[in-house]
Amino acid sequence: MYKFLAVCGFGVGSSLVLKMSIEKAAKERGVECEVENMDLSSAKGTNADAVFTSQELGDELKTATKSPVYPIQRYMDKEEVGQALDDFLG
Amino acid sequence: MLKEYLKDDYMQHVSCLDSWEEAIAVAADPLLKSRIIEESYIQAMIDSVEKNGPYIVLKDYFALPHAKAGEGVNDVGLSLLLLDEPVDLKGNPVKVFLVLAAVDHTSHLKALSEISELLMNDETYEQFLANDLAEIKKLL
Repeated sequence: MYKFLAVCGFGVGSSLVLKMSIEKAAKERGVECEVENMDLSSAKGTNADAVFTSQELGDELKTATKSPVYPIQRYMDKEEVGQALDDFLG
Repeated sequence: MLKEYLKDDYMQHVSCLDSWEEAIAVAADPLLKSRIIEESYIQAMIDSVEKNGPYIVLKDYFALPHAKAGEGVNDVGLSLLLLDEPVDLKGNPVKVFLVLAAVDHTSHLKALSEISELLMNDETYEQFLANDLAEIKKLL
């Protein structure tokens, strides 16, 4: 069971949509995971197997977290999110 | 649940606007008039794009402007603006704006999930891109 973070600036809107996209992509791949959505500052203090966020926020987050960060351009794009998940699964 | 927050008169169809900033302000106007949000929340949504980048563009032609929960927000609300001509949001053409006003981290979750399902589905998303408010109201 993986733990993923879906991160946006405020942790209330975009990150929820990203969480839904990750859950859909994970389900399609038969990957078991728990996804939590949160704002940038909370994400800095939370450990996870992988963090998904925007390019801009990802650059800031990379310096503050040990977890691998996967930048996503379109949070609602199931294919792009699926590709990032595939990269993580390697 | 969704209809409780995204009321009929919170949905607008406009031919074209000059900028993404104007589009966010027009999209949010019904929430401002209903006192669900304050003027400051509109500026906060615009500032967020300047500060955090255009990640509110969640898929081609669709953006979800929002800012911090509870700051300049009096109640949970959603409002929708459909444009015939897309406006440019930092390199992304957008014609569907869904403004989200949240008071905390949970009250809006169900409504936002419900409308996100419609926007994620290619068939129902077509209705949003076609600017057919009557059809969209049937979906909600």
